[in-house]
Amino acid sequence: MKYTVPVIMCLLLLPSLSKGQDWVVPEERKGRLSTFPFTEETRKEGERLYNINCLSCHGTPGKNNSIALVPPPGDPATEKIQRNSDGEIFHKVTVGRGQMPSFRSVMSAEEIWKTVSYIRSFNRDYVQRVMQIITSSAYPGAQISLSMAYLEAERQVIVRAMATDEEKSVPVTNAGVRLFASRYFGALAVDEEKLTDKNGVAAFVIPAGLPGDTAGNVSISARFTDEEVFGSVTRDTVIQAGLKNRAGSLVAQRAMWNSVRKAPLWVILSYGIGVLAVWGFILLVMLKLRDIYTVGSALRGNLRPASDQEPTNKQEAI
Amino acid sequence: MSKEKQGEDNGRPDLEKAVDNSRRDFLRKVTLAGAVTVTGGAAIYSGHRFEKAKHNEGMVRVLTEDNRLVEIPVEQMRDFKPDLKMLQTRGREGIAGRRWVMVIDLSRCRNARKCVEACQSAHQLRPYEYHINTLVMQESVNTPAFFMPKPCQHCDNPPCVSVCPVDATFKRQDGIVLIDNERYLVCRLCIAACPYSARIFHWQEPTQAEADKDKEYNVELNVPQKKGTVTKCLFSADRLREGMLPYCVSACPNGVFYFGDENEDAVTNGTTKETVRLSELLETSGAYRLMPELGTKPRVYYLPPRNRIFEFEEGEKKEYKEDKA
Repeated sequence: MKYTVPVIMCLLLLPSLSKGQDWVVPEERKGRLSTFPFTEETRKEGERLYNINCLSCHGTPGKNNSIALVPPPGDPATEKIQRNSDGEIFHKVTVGRGQMPSFRSVMSAEEIWKTVSYIRSFNRDYVQRVMQIITSSAYPGAQISLSMAYLEAERQVIVRAMATDEEKSVPVTNAGVRLFASRYFGALAVDEEKLTDKNGVAAFVIPAGLPGDTAGNVSISARFTDEEVFGSVTRDTVIQAGLKNRAGSLVAQRAMWNSVRKAPLWVILSYGIGVLAVWGFILLVMLKLRDIYTVGSALRGNLRPASDQEPTNKQEAI
Repeated sequence: MSKEKQGEDNGRPDLEKAVDNSRRDFLRKVTLAGAVTVTGGAAIYSGHRFEKAKHNEGMVRVLTEDNRLVEIPVEQMRDFKPDLKMLQTRGREGIAGRRWVMVIDLSRCRNARKCVEACQSAHQLRPYEYHINTLVMQESVNTPAFFMPKPCQHCDNPPCVSVCPVDATFKRQDGIVLIDNERYLVCRLCIAACPYSARIFHWQEPTQAEADKDKEYNVELNVPQKKGTVTKCLFSADRLREGMLPYCVSACPNGVFYFGDENEDAVTNGTTKETVRLSELLETSGAYRLMPELGTKPRVYYLPPRNRIFEFEEGEKKEYKEDKA
């Protein structure tokens, strides 16, 4: 009875302790293996990729200089990270969690495996197991290809995966396929990942509001999720399924901030009238001055005979 | 007499010899000239034929600026360096059909300062000159503090552009607000007009003044910088032209920045490179813009700092010392 409180407290503490540490990788992903053996070359390439993508948080492996975060990112050379299987490291890098970003769209599967190759170079006991692509692939020796069709009425893109060898062509079944629309800085996933059915077909729905170019064209591409198994096969095509881009230029409207030609009409008018009024006034003043001058000279002309006589009178006086 | 004769006799052959010599000389010269003319002519002719042959074969395919593939003779190829006029013209026009937009996820910023460093190195700024300010925000005493990176908002109704008397700062068709140092007059009205305090003034000679002496001024990068001019965030207009994300966006290690084209309804995260629908992102995360009551219509959206995945930690303040040398 006297142990009840400590026992309960321990039971309460247990989940909170394990909460931050456990990063459970799905069982089917744990055993995933690289399709190529790790060599000095892959290690070097992996180091380059590590320095670009991982160094800023995880620090230099072996130096234990990862940045202080909660939970800590951890040094990849330590036992904590090295006891993960290849598949687990691959999965964690791919998916990410919490502060660790997902690298799915940053690095290709091959690049992630090269990074794993670099991380493993800090483990002397590590012996690599390489996946034999031919044996694990359901279609040994066959050429796998994708074809696409767009059904306008249903707004659906049908992707068909076929494995063709010298003798026959069979549908690729139960393979994850993703569809992407091309955007300026990357590929936008359209619909979710779909598995091919028994005919090798996966259907994707194009969302109604997806913008296209000025003609409504969207360039889309399909590829397999598991590129190690099915190869990096992609299929690109352009379909007229998007909204037409009619947005136009942002500097088309008249505004105070726009260039002189695009200034608001009232500004141009009031400014124009103002300038005209000032110059008109100056012109008016000058005209009036001219009038005064003419009147003045006319008056001088009338007075001249009188003034002309004066000197002659003086001469006469002399 | 005989002496005279002798003299005459002796004199005549001399003269004849001289005449003979000059004739030989003349003939030699004529032959030489002829040979030179023939050889030269042949050389020029063969050269002409060679050039002609080259003209037919030596064509090269070039992709023009408006994306046309054309064929031009190799000998007409010239190295092209964009001159100031071209940089100014294309810098003012912007990229047709685009409306750049930035989304900043405040829940992910932990003030790693990578965006600031990338920006400062690209635009040749000193450590205390910022195009992006990372502010510490705390709305009230009982609400948690958070970091807020604040670049230029590239407003659709930009007060800084309205007050500029010489059209030195301007808005482009793709939404970016830029500054043209070549037109700038040092009135600094734009700094006063900006409600977001996005602009800074160059009080000192630029850091790389000597190295950049002969460099053409690029309005899309605002480099080389100039003493006595204004500078601010440019949405990395030079990188966008090349289809790359801005310097700060791709430098962030925490996935704070999204950047993209509003017309495509897509923004790409600079860290994960994942592209998402802009409208969905704004709607699901409760996005907002800074000081909407001013009617400036910023092109930068903020996602509120909710569900933060780390503690707020204010780093040590660094003191910057200027290198006098």
